[in-house]
Amino acid sequence: MAGNSTFGTGFNVVQHYNAVLQQDPSISAPVAAVSSLVRLVEQQRATTMLELMKIVPEACSQLKRATHDSISLSAGCDVFLQQMARLSQGQSAEECSRALIQAGSEFVQGAGRCRDRVAEFGSAFVRDDHTILVHSYSRVIMGLLRRAVKQNKRFRVYVTESRPDQSGLKAAEELQALGVPCEVVLDAAVGYIMEKVDLVLAGAEGVVESGGLINKIGTYQLAIVAKAAKKPFYALAESFKFVRLYPLSQYDLPTHRSDLLAFKDSKPTEDWHARLAATNPMLDYTPPELITLLFTDLGVMTPSGVSDELIKFYLD
Amino acid sequence: MLPQELLIFNVVCRVLHIVNEDYSSVEVVSEGGTSNKKKGHAGGGGGGGGAGGAMKGNETPAMGLGQAGAGQPRNLGEQVARSMDRAALNAFHLKSLVIQEINDYMVELEKTEEEIADNAREHIHSNEIILTCGRSATVEQFLKHAASKVRIHVIVAECAPAYDGHEQARALAGPNIDVVVVADAAVFAIMSRVNKVILGAHAVLANGGLVAASGSHTIAAAARHHSTQVVVCAGLYKYSPMFPFDDDRFNTLVSPDAVLAYGNGDLVDAVDVCNPRYDYVPPELVDILVDHTGGHLPSYLYRLLQENYNYAKDLAWSMQDE
Repeated sequence: MAGNSTFGTGFNVVQHYNAVLQQDPSISAPVAAVSSLVRLVEQQRATTMLELMKIVPEACSQLKRATHDSISLSAGCDVFLQQMARLSQGQSAEECSRALIQAGSEFVQGAGRCRDRVAEFGSAFVRDDHTILVHSYSRVIMGLLRRAVKQNKRFRVYVTESRPDQSGLKAAEELQALGVPCEVVLDAAVGYIMEKVDLVLAGAEGVVESGGLINKIGTYQLAIVAKAAKKPFYALAESFKFVRLYPLSQYDLPTHRSDLLAFKDSKPTEDWHARLAATNPMLDYTPPELITLLFTDLGVMTPSGVSDELIKFYLD
Repeated sequence: MLPQELLIFNVVCRVLHIVNEDYSSVEVVSEGGTSNKKKGHAGGGGGGGGAGGAMKGNETPAMGLGQAGAGQPRNLGEQVARSMDRAALNAFHLKSLVIQEINDYMVELEKTEEEIADNAREHIHSNEIILTCGRSATVEQFLKHAASKVRIHVIVAECAPAYDGHEQARALAGPNIDVVVVADAAVFAIMSRVNKVILGAHAVLANGGLVAASGSHTIAAAARHHSTQVVVCAGLYKYSPMFPFDDDRFNTLVSPDAVLAYGNGDLVDAVDVCNPRYDYVPPELVDILVDHTGGHLPSYLYRLLQENYNYAKDLAWSMQDE
């Protein structure tokens, strides 16, 4: 079964995951992953708990491999596996699958509400006449700003361009459609405008045990500049993005590869553009000392509160 | 619509928490008698194990951190309606339980200052020079309790324009305490000779920041510069589930007459005079918060808030969400 991604029933979990993402672009990776795992559990015909306990983790590792160890997807898979571990006690494979399907479906349905809850908790921090600095494109941040606009608050937004994929431009388009005055700022110009900014918002790929943040490259820099200028730095994350990692440096992330920025030999006619896109990291780690508050669907918390929530969930 | 007077709001939230907590514990015991450890005990609950989705027999536990919270009522109206639906049977037991708990809470409130003062010996040592500011009954009792065993020197900043410091000095003066009153401007100059700063607070906000007497921020900043410890004595009822969205949200201005008398006619017209009542002290400047259970770091505050206000969290947020 190891190299076969269909588990004998013709169900390809990675294919289903990609299809879900394509169908609904607003869905986040961990939710799509759980949705695919639920479908897998529905389709599989394991008759013993041991079989089930092999199939599901195998599917999780396939998903992780296919998405290059995406942090948020790993977080979602871990939540699903933890739930399975909880439900597997004292039940038959069939009962466990049924309960798992139910829990998973409720989770997927509730996930949309998570984003709304984050927006509810966070929008109170956006006040009239504020200048906000936003890093890259994040659906949670957009949700929060949309809510603030609905509450008739008047504010302006600087969006970082966020190279190399320039996702900041997408954010600027959406803000313009909402009627919020916005400017796209070079990643390098963040220090230049920081004095004029009232608060900084960043989304999250994952929130680690120490309360630190894993997010699009450039977040760490932004946090350092914000701290130096004494501006509050707020991170927005749904609770299913809390991961059981404890990185001590940038290079401790599971997405780290040794060939990133490794001074490989270059040709005299090297295409630096292409090389830049290939050798640069996409994620970085922001330590908890630089984060003022975290807005999650569990409430507003200081970074020290994250490990408490993780312990409550994972150690029952 | 935000509450202005934080302390009243804190007490309301605490009482609401008591009621909800008792309700959950009564509900579990009455339904099928399977006492669930997670729900029964005080202060636990919250997040994944909360009233909404905890395990009952073979019901599926909610998945995801705090997904159970998604089912919680969003405002006071809903909370009450929901409780009323199910509470008819349990009202009799619930009432006496709640009344008893509220009475316990009242006793706790009355004994707060005494219990905080009991911690004084841990923080104050013989012959220490302590700086304080303004008038605070909690700090006064704290220092007097320490002075009953060891000799201490207290420097009180006078806190213009109310000059509360003078009253505090008069209250503190006694055997074993040497009191000196200094002008607010002299605080930085003498800070190098001070061993410890002990402040009172009007309220402690959810991020660990303080709403304290005007002048406290300056003192705390001077202390940070000299790496002097800042100890804040505040009863549990002062810990608020509110976050400060900006520094002056919980501040009020009182009469500027004390700063610039109305008698100076021409000057009063030409000049804008402010007299803020409170100061916001950011959490980075506070080292220890002392309440009746002992000393805590500001970063531990989320835990205290969870234990004491968890069931009222949604109320607190629905009020902040304008």
